[in-house]
Amino acid sequence: MQRYVYILLFALVLFAPLLARMAIVSPQAREATTANAARLVVITPNNQDIRREFAIGFDRWHVAHYGQSVVLDYRTPGGTSDIERQLKSTYDAYRDAAGTLPPEIPVEIDVVWGGGDYSFNQVLKPAGILQTAPISPNLLAAAFPEPKLAGVRLYDATSGPDGKPTPLWLGVCLSSFGIMYNPDVFERLGLPAPQVWGDLTNERLDGFISLADPGHSGSAAVTYMMVLQRAMADAEAEFFLRHPDLRNAPAAQRAKDPAYAQAIGNGWKHGMGQLLLIAGNARYFTDSSEVVPTDVARGDAAAGMAIDFYARVTEQVVGSRRAQFVLPVGATAITPDPVAVLLGVRGERLRLAGHFIEFLLSPEGQRLWILKVGVPGGPVDRSLWRMPIRRGVYADRTGWEPTTDPFEVAHGFNERGEWMVGFGDTRMIWGCAWIDSGDALSAAYSAVLSVSDDTRRREMINGLMDLPITWDEVKHIGVERARQPRERMDEWDAELRIQFARRFRDHYRAVKCLAENR
Amino acid sequence: MSKFLKAGATIARPWRNVSTSHWLLAAVLLAFFGVLLIWPILQIVATGFRRPGGRLTLAYVELIFKDPELVRGMLNAAGVAISVTLLTLLISLPLAILSVRYEFPGRRLLSGFLLVPLILPPFVGAIGLRLVLGRFGPLTQLVGGGPLGIDWIGKFRFGGMVVVEALHLYPILLLNLQASLANIDPALEQAAANLGASRETIFRRVTLPLIRPGLFAGSTLVLIWSFTELGTPLIFNFYTITPVQVFRQILEVSSNPLPYALVVVVLLASSLLYLAGKVALGRGFDAATTKASVGATITRLHGIKAMAAFLLFFTIVLLAIVPHVSVVVTSFAKTGSWYQSLLPRGLALGHYRQVLGDELAFPSVMRSIQYASLATAVAVAVGLGAAILIVRSNIPGRGLFDALSMLPLAVPGLVLSFGYLAISIGLKASLGKRMPRILDVQEWPVLVLVLAYAARRLPYVVRSAVAGLQQTPRDLELAAANLGASRFTVLRRITVPLIVGSLIAGGLLAFSFAMLEVSDSLILAQRSDYYPITRAILDLSQRLGDGTYIASALGVWAMILLTLTLLSANTLLGRKMGSMFRV
Repeated sequence: MQRYVYILLFALVLFAPLLARMAIVSPQAREATTANAARLVVITPNNQDIRREFAIGFDRWHVAHYGQSVVLDYRTPGGTSDIERQLKSTYDAYRDAAGTLPPEIPVEIDVVWGGGDYSFNQVLKPAGILQTAPISPNLLAAAFPEPKLAGVRLYDATSGPDGKPTPLWLGVCLSSFGIMYNPDVFERLGLPAPQVWGDLTNERLDGFISLADPGHSGSAAVTYMMVLQRAMADAEAEFFLRHPDLRNAPAAQRAKDPAYAQAIGNGWKHGMGQLLLIAGNARYFTDSSEVVPTDVARGDAAAGMAIDFYARVTEQVVGSRRAQFVLPVGATAITPDPVAVLLGVRGERLRLAGHFIEFLLSPEGQRLWILKVGVPGGPVDRSLWRMPIRRGVYADRTGWEPTTDPFEVAHGFNERGEWMVGFGDTRMIWGCAWIDSGDALSAAYSAVLSVSDDTRRREMINGLMDLPITWDEVKHIGVERARQPRERMDEWDAELRIQFARRFRDHYRAVKCLAENR
Repeated sequence: MSKFLKAGATIARPWRNVSTSHWLLAAVLLAFFGVLLIWPILQIVATGFRRPGGRLTLAYVELIFKDPELVRGMLNAAGVAISVTLLTLLISLPLAILSVRYEFPGRRLLSGFLLVPLILPPFVGAIGLRLVLGRFGPLTQLVGGGPLGIDWIGKFRFGGMVVVEALHLYPILLLNLQASLANIDPALEQAAANLGASRETIFRRVTLPLIRPGLFAGSTLVLIWSFTELGTPLIFNFYTITPVQVFRQILEVSSNPLPYALVVVVLLASSLLYLAGKVALGRGFDAATTKASVGATITRLHGIKAMAAFLLFFTIVLLAIVPHVSVVVTSFAKTGSWYQSLLPRGLALGHYRQVLGDELAFPSVMRSIQYASLATAVAVAVGLGAAILIVRSNIPGRGLFDALSMLPLAVPGLVLSFGYLAISIGLKASLGKRMPRILDVQEWPVLVLVLAYAARRLPYVVRSAVAGLQQTPRDLELAAANLGASRFTVLRRITVPLIVGSLIAGGLLAFSFAMLEVSDSLILAQRSDYYPITRAILDLSQRLGDGTYIASALGVWAMILLTLTLLSANTLLGRKMGSMFRV
């Protein structure tokens, strides 16, 4: 008898939800996709909400504009780095001995969408696996009256022989990183709400900060870079107060001035020290960026660096008592999230890919990022809370979720190209300083914080912040690397990383000994 | 015993007399291992030995030993693995003895509950633990944590990891020990008792040596699993440990051969651990231990003894089901209502409704059941074949099959999955349009998924089947053969029925772990119309704000279904969970 009970229960558990599902899901929603619908294969790290809303939105738009239904066939192998790896290995399989790709490549995937401009600029474009986006110059001009937002390119800078832009990727929305915090926990800690990055260096936040790993997340790394650049910009402003004559000098001339270079180098070092204290306060460096808002909302962390829409959606769900988001004014990076067509896509598929980009840049596609649920043209299930990239659509915000205008928030301060030199190596240095030697950092930080005398503790903190590295040295890594034979490059990089980690560990140990009076 | 050993020795034939069927079996198995393990591993691992331009090098392996952090990671991994194995043994051995040899109130029910860790879907388990161990979570509320709560995860990292892993992995050892204990012929222990041996002496001199196959099988699995465990260290933010170091470096933006070299070192270290276990526990197995010729005697416990046994079972069950309970409670909690309180402040059924309405969730469960069932069938067939070769054949290098079948445990799932993907992509590039669709992972991942699940979960089946064969006297098979039965008839009528308990034990482990497999599911099932349940849970759990709750609802449903699957499979075979391993 018992055997039949279990089998019956098994069948019941298996099928009951299917029946319940039929009862609660409306027949329209279950309606099968049109048989003659076209299919566009899109590889993306975007979450399910974004995938669903844009699949519905694009299909509607395409029926209205081109009279044909389209199914977005998503491929989701994981995060941005998984996508990069998969695309690279897909194309590498077709390369000849010299690394050249044949003219015809039978790839399955048409479009890559999302993952941040860093991935498109530094990985996909150099790999030579993107092709010029098939859109009209008029659309490009209409969508991007300015190619840059406070110094950051909104679409790829490639141009044809005639000088006309032939971008390999185009931004379709904007991302910013800011501070997400839990007001309740801040109250318990007796601290005011954070406003600027420096507020996260407070020693009372030890173990209360949630950070993304700079080695894994391009956008988090850009944010850490903004902390550095803010410190460099402050050092520059102070330098100009002392040397007003150099304020209006050409950048090239300024850069040659040793006093100026020294001042900027000091600013960089101060920024690194600030970041080190934030890292010292960190509970962890997560690979999965959803963890930060979840932990802050639960009170496991008091604050974290989070991407804007993650924070805003979480705030909407759990309430502003437990989650709020601040964009540090004049100290945040606002970067585009791009779309691109993959090399080898031809014919009808290329035409459809063009339509998809056209939709993403259209006012309808742009508003879908930020409209409230239920508003005509808005999302069906949940608001996406992302910032459109077309400046023009900000003029009429009817039906929008509350948002800041990124073009105003940037305040003219965004990434400075000349200060992005050595960005890749800076990421490596952060990895060595925070993660590879993380245990030594924690031990030293704890020792410093347990010094009871305030003045001495401050001295110790300053000592800890004084990392044994300079900006000149980081800039020089690239030069040194270029001298290495190609086949020794990986080895050289790994050895360099070991050396830096050792250097930082020695520094932390020395500070720890000092703090413990040994 | 020596008489049996001698009999075994005289039966052994020179290797050139290996039967054709064993050669054939070896060829099939080599093909299976070659295609599903060696090829993908080589595909990926070669990166760790090749300089750009293709020249071979050992430089990257040398670098690993130059890096004090990586060396410390290795030592930490070994430390965790050894501690977990010892703690698992400490938990499982008394439980196994009590559940097989004694009867007390609640034994049957609690014995079933002891297997609960097997049905916890990943991610969901992590969600449950993070919740319980949260700074202001239920544990903090229970002990009264003060205004700033208690950072359990930050404070008790090493110990916390060991306890959590042991509570997750003990069923593997428990199942194997139960099977081994049930296989012991009580006559041997009775003989020792008749000769005046004390209980302690009988256990040390008779029982323990006789259950060595199960002890070896179970503890090897636990040792290697915990050595390569990735999820738990990630929950505890423990980065200086090899699996996490490999994972983080592989996922890093820059391509770097070092993690692949590190994988090779992990492989070698796992093999060493395996060999060490074999030397310590696995020497001299033979069919010397006999199947029970008389029924096992079950002692009924009364009074304080019964109470103590009940309490031991109850405590372990209670600790083991903490993540499950937390997942169940979360699934019924109103979004955001479980905050700084022992229990949620509001309840809701909405998350179940969300799951029901989700396009991905339900089809994914049906698919997972199909994939896992097929994979289990493949794993049991291959595992039985491998076990026969390892235990019953004289084929040269049969130890190789033993090692090969354990290989999937030592290779991070991520590496193997990327290997499959790379092979499929490479095949497509060279075959072009002639590429069969069933081999194209990006178009139809089902075949590769099923085979990948089977290969990844093979070690459980092989270990169980080998343990079963080692405890089954060969005499019975030889007698059947003498009476004219063909090899296949002997296999079908004698061998398989005798070790069916071990096969079921291995098969059930393979099934439940295949249902809950992560790496293959994430990397290989990229099209949502082929998503298995783990992939759907991950997608749901990443939903901002309420993802935890919705993923928990699907997790609860998966747990119930998995429990019923195990119970149904069990009752279909006409045996109850507790007595299943007494063949």
